[in-house]
Amino acid sequence: MGLEVGSNPMSMDAIAALLAERFAGDLADIRIQEPDTIRTKCAPEQLKDIARRLKDDPDAGYETLNWIAGVDRQASIESIYHVYSWQTNTWLELHVDLPRENPEVDTVTGVWPAADWHEREAWDMVGIVYLGHPDLRRILLKDDFIGHPLRKDYIDLAENHPHA
Amino acid sequence: MDTLLAILRAVVFVVIAYAVVFVAALVNIVFERRVLAFMQDRHGPNRTGPHGVLQSIADAFKMMGKEDFRPLLADPYLFTLAPVMVMIGAVAVQLVIPYTGGITATGLDIGIIFLVAITSFTTLSILLGGWSSHNKYSLIGALRGAAQMISYEIPMILGLIVVAMVVGSLNVTDVVAAQSGYRWIAFYAPFTFLIFYIASIAELNRGPFDLPESESELVSGYGTEYSGMRFGMFFLNEYAGLTIMSMVAVTLFFGGWQGPFAGAIQILGVSWIGLVWFFVKTYVLVFALVWIRLSLPRLQVDQLMGFAWKILIPLGLVNILATAAVMLWVPSWRWGLAIFSWVALLAFVGLFDPILKRRLRKQRERQPVVSA
Amino acid sequence: MPDEFVTPEPDEAVKLALRRIDEATARGEGSDADGLAFNEVVVNMGPQHPSTHGVLRLVVTLDGELVKDVIPVIGYLHRCKEKLAERRTYFQYIPIVDRTEYVASMNCEWAYVMTVEKLAGIQPTRRAEFIRVITGELSRMASHLVAVGTFTADLAPLGTAMVFYMFRDREYILDLLEELSGARMMFNYFRFGGVRYDLPDGWTSKCRDLMKRMPKLIDEYESLVDDNAIFLQRTQGKGVITQQDVVDFGITGPNARASAVALDLRRSRPYSVYPELDFEVCTAEHGDIFDRYRVRMDELRESIRIVEQCLDMLPKGPVQAGALRAPYVITPPPGSCYVGQENPRGEYGTYIESDGSRYPYRLKYRDPCFCNLQLFPKLLSGNKIADAVAISGSIDLVLGGIDR
Repeated sequence: MGLEVGSNPMSMDAIAALLAERFAGDLADIRIQEPDTIRTKCAPEQLKDIARRLKDDPDAGYETLNWIAGVDRQASIESIYHVYSWQTNTWLELHVDLPRENPEVDTVTGVWPAADWHEREAWDMVGIVYLGHPDLRRILLKDDFIGHPLRKDYIDLAENHPHA
Repeated sequence: MDTLLAILRAVVFVVIAYAVVFVAALVNIVFERRVLAFMQDRHGPNRTGPHGVLQSIADAFKMMGKEDFRPLLADPYLFTLAPVMVMIGAVAVQLVIPYTGGITATGLDIGIIFLVAITSFTTLSILLGGWSSHNKYSLIGALRGAAQMISYEIPMILGLIVVAMVVGSLNVTDVVAAQSGYRWIAFYAPFTFLIFYIASIAELNRGPFDLPESESELVSGYGTEYSGMRFGMFFLNEYAGLTIMSMVAVTLFFGGWQGPFAGAIQILGVSWIGLVWFFVKTYVLVFALVWIRLSLPRLQVDQLMGFAWKILIPLGLVNILATAAVMLWVPSWRWGLAIFSWVALLAFVGLFDPILKRRLRKQRERQPVVSA
Repeated sequence: MPDEFVTPEPDEAVKLALRRIDEATARGEGSDADGLAFNEVVVNMGPQHPSTHGVLRLVVTLDGELVKDVIPVIGYLHRCKEKLAERRTYFQYIPIVDRTEYVASMNCEWAYVMTVEKLAGIQPTRRAEFIRVITGELSRMASHLVAVGTFTADLAPLGTAMVFYMFRDREYILDLLEELSGARMMFNYFRFGGVRYDLPDGWTSKCRDLMKRMPKLIDEYESLVDDNAIFLQRTQGKGVITQQDVVDFGITGPNARASAVALDLRRSRPYSVYPELDFEVCTAEHGDIFDRYRVRMDELRESIRIVEQCLDMLPKGPVQAGALRAPYVITPPPGSCYVGQENPRGEYGTYIESDGSRYPYRLKYRDPCFCNLQLFPKLLSGNKIADAVAISGSIDLVLGGIDR
């Protein structure tokens, strides 16, 4: 099997309709962002299951994870998954809202292997705990750094850098 | 009195040998840097002295002025001993080489064996230095170096055996004398020379065989922990090695100091023009070494060992057998040997690359396509 | 061992490497299985190492010459770029984007500027679009020259010659870009809705001259290595990236195209004026080191074609939409968007969230090298250490982008 880009071209509306039908009740708030991205939300407890189903979808399999971003929304913390579908040549943005005091969500490394480092980065920067991640260490900052700098309430103190 | 003279003579020759090593190293460093710069379309060192000729003297003084540093966990004795020992090979080899008619330290009867034996000292000191540094890069580099130099000594010896067979003597002075009248061994045993030359490049740890200090993977191999003049000793030895190995090659294969008007000016029983010829020939070969280094990518460990054991050594053995057969059964054996050796050389040079490439092409065709 | 010497505590990565050795031994897969203890050596390559192209650190577990396991450690060049965005206006942030992937700064700026334009609904002028494509492709060529040059340098002293030839040609390109933007590498040239300066007088003819010369130079470089048996032996069939790897790890750019994946965002997610231009998506089919090198060389040629076409088609008109110069302060409406762009190394993009203020609320980079580096443990394990160096050279990492 050769890997082809856009082997199953579909219009954005068709994909949105397809997702709305197959993931009824799971994916909330499916919106089309021109030209080629679908934005949607899901509940954290369902994330792993939805990720698996998104990847295995026969018509619009979102097989490749592009990136994961952690965003601090003050009220909550959001983990955004940006995935790519080779068949339809479209992208999907999956937003997962997590409680700020306890931002925990299941890891998707089992579904998309690329999630490994992206999840580590989100943990490092925003402090999202990915449950079940094989090796959740800091990635860009030092091992002994204290705090998560991309949180909006982060204050940079000298104590945060033990061996600076 | 005679004893005193003999001791004096010995001291003078050792001093000369050391002088040659140091001067050759300093000259070669500038020479190689300039040649490399020329080939790479840049200037190279050109600030220190006219055309940068004093660059390596400045570098030498800089190195002497550096801190004499030893890692805490390094073995103190061996770590110090290795850079001291590394020069022995380069110095001692010269004791059997006639620089020109009349300047030979000793006409040792087992000269060729001595040559091979004494060059192994470099291997030993590389191994010592790499092991005693207590550094993983050094250790890997040193072990690579030992494996490589031991492997390539064999084809080198196989080449030298042919020289001894042709000349009928192991004495280096005899070898030079046998090549008088332009009957250079390289002319009627070029294939032997090729084997010897490839092996000698590997012995020198130079590209494409510079695995012991392949800087892209092992930082600088066995010398990683050395700095200052200790590093300088390894460095000087490596570059002096270019000249020394070329001297050996010139002596054994290119008629040594002999050339047109070589014996024309004789002062104190020494033919001075021969000295000029000797160094001209040597530096032609040094240039070739620099050129080869720049034009070939580095081999990999398995390819390097494979080349020695699967190609050079069998060819060397076949070469010895064929030479012996020619000398035994062909009436004018010099002509027979010349024909055989030139044919072998041309066949090797002409066929080796195409055969290798054909194999690579076939391999490439068999290589699975990722989309399949 | 002297008494006063205290072995420093190994850091997390080394501990992990040692733990993995222990685990492998416990499973009976370690090399001490044959009764020799301490067969595996954990070697710390980097952050200062001649062939890691920056401050990449690889904790390598070696079994003799064989690489058993690799743990990449990054972050030595982390400059808090995502944090910096919180207190810079959109306009002030442009020069900082330059410094992420510093080998192809033009393309990075382009990705950032496109994202902001999309957020704020700004449409760049047509002439500016063409100038952007020209500078982007020149930047791509400069970047590929660096990539191939340093990769061959990893293989051999021969490469040092290639490095000098290629850096010389890169300098010609950088001269052009310098004349255009005023800076050699950190251009700060793109603006929202256009570019900073119009092309100077005589620039197009200089560019054309260079484009005419380049193919001959590229031929010369290819003749140096393509026919060299040692080079072929060291590059063919090694470090193969399969298509499954491409899918799993999000490999993009020349590394993916070398594995017969025709993924090129200039085609698959067209932006700017690329749909009007005629160029090939260069692919190769084996996915090994040699193919990655080949794809880069082919792309050099394609870039030359693109630049020549753009010079021919270059329309007249302003280079900045709207006012004479770019707005210093823009306030995109609240919302977020991500735009990916084909950087020389793969898909480079920025995700920006705006809360309607002058500062980006959140800015996130998607860097191709970060994703490609993730494949290293899989790609390098099982190879000889010399191959590992060649493979890591052929992946073409820029640490500025990885560490941000």
